[in-house]
Amino acid sequence: MVRFEEVVLRYGNGPEILKRVSLQLDPGSYHFLVGPSGAGKSSLLRMMYLAQHPSAGRVALFGRDVAGLSRRETALLRRRIGVVFQDFRLLDHLTARENVALPLRIGGQSGARADKARSGKEVEELLAWVGLADHMDALPPTLSGGQQQRVAIARAVIGRPSLLLADEPTGNLDDRMAVRLLYLFEELNKIGTTVVIATHNESLVQRFPHPVTRLRGGEVEIAAATPAERSAAPRPGA
Amino acid sequence: MAALYRARGRSRQAVPLDRDSAGRYLPLLVAIMVYLAVLAVAGALMMTKLAERWDSGLAGALTVQIPPAADTAAGEATLEAVVAALAATPGVRSAEPLDRQAMSALLEPWLGDALLGGDLPLPRLVAVTIDTAAPPDIAALQARLETLAPGVLVDDHQRWLARLLDLARAVELMALVVVLLVVLAASIMVAFVTRMGLAAHQRSIELLHLIGAQDAYVARQFQNHALGFGLRGGLLGLAAALPTLYLARLLLQRIDSGLLPELSFRPHEWACFVLLPVAAALVTMLTARVTVLRTLARLP
Repeated sequence: MVRFEEVVLRYGNGPEILKRVSLQLDPGSYHFLVGPSGAGKSSLLRMMYLAQHPSAGRVALFGRDVAGLSRRETALLRRRIGVVFQDFRLLDHLTARENVALPLRIGGQSGARADKARSGKEVEELLAWVGLADHMDALPPTLSGGQQQRVAIARAVIGRPSLLLADEPTGNLDDRMAVRLLYLFEELNKIGTTVVIATHNESLVQRFPHPVTRLRGGEVEIAAATPAERSAAPRPGA
Repeated sequence: MAALYRARGRSRQAVPLDRDSAGRYLPLLVAIMVYLAVLAVAGALMMTKLAERWDSGLAGALTVQIPPAADTAAGEATLEAVVAALAATPGVRSAEPLDRQAMSALLEPWLGDALLGGDLPLPRLVAVTIDTAAPPDIAALQARLETLAPGVLVDDHQRWLARLLDLARAVELMALVVVLLVVLAASIMVAFVTRMGLAAHQRSIELLHLIGAQDAYVARQFQNHALGFGLRGGLLGLAAALPTLYLARLLLQRIDSGLLPELSFRPHEWACFVLLPVAAALVTMLTARVTVLRTLARLP
């Protein structure tokens, strides 16, 4: 599903943000990516959702080397990836409902009237599920940070992506909602979606039995550790 | 509350171009462009009509001009000989000399009746109609009449008409150039505003790309917007041009010279005018699309 081989990332002539990172995520797996701020989690995710090309090394998604993709192929590949951005990236002039429906519009799944009705219903159900039934026609600037984050999550999963990437998806949520959303991601994972969640909230991660990759200073410190390996590994800073 | 919550309706464009201040005056600029284009086309059509009118009016006609004679009797004899020679020429249908009264009526607006009443020597004119299917040889006719009336002039108006037709073609060409310049100016403006829109909405466009939008999807946002303001501006320009054309028509009617044609248009000419705003809208739409696609293609 996702394969990084000796990936190096640097911006211009600056320092290396990622240093010879190699990792592999199998289809249908659920991964946590943890590490302190500046460890390179977001940069790694950016490469996974094709917003950034590596300075060196090779990135392959869905079995395809991303270096040789045309713009059209890149767009089609991105439709199979759902992303929860750290800064939400909602379009302020569209309602919560319209923001969530955007991937369906772009993918051409809401063109015909029947499709439109079906996708409209799915959007409403999803927004209700994330607790925004009363805010479907609200514009993002009128929503709280947590509410915006939930709209962003709904937008990321509405198209049932093969790969779901979430950058600090629980950062603005209370614990109850955060756990609830991670369970939503688990539901998606059960139907075959590969999930990668970048977070610095390690206590939240401990509640789930999924492998964890820890980044530190642009390097992989622990790769895909199982809960048993995690408990055996030294705690950061210990 | 309306600003916080929106009633459900038709989905809004993903890129909010209707809020851009840069594009606010574009409909007005397109309107001015279409206004100028309508006037240019109307001018060209009128010039063509003028040429057609004079061409058809003079087709199959000659004017024979006999210099004034020293005495009236000799002059009349020469006139009769010329008319007889003309009548006998193959291809000539009729030859009607203009009498002095008709000549005076023709010249009165320029010379006044006081001068004409005197002994002002005037050439004699013969209006000749010819068979356009088998016209006489003008040079041979000129040579034959020269023997009867030295200094006679056979005028088939072709030299004058050719110049008029040249003028009409030049005006048509100028109108075409004006329309092309209008199209060019409109395209440059639209391309400029589109680039500003791309820069202003860079973040939204980046998001659309990240969730799988192809360049064509982004281009559609811009081209639909451009089509809308192109049509609005075009129709406004046409609406503004119509009173101007009506005013020009009234002014032409006041001249009432018979030399100028009436400013009225046939259905296919009206169709031309109606097509101008449509063409303006299509040009703005295509320009926006091409600009977006070319700009995005340069992105990594």
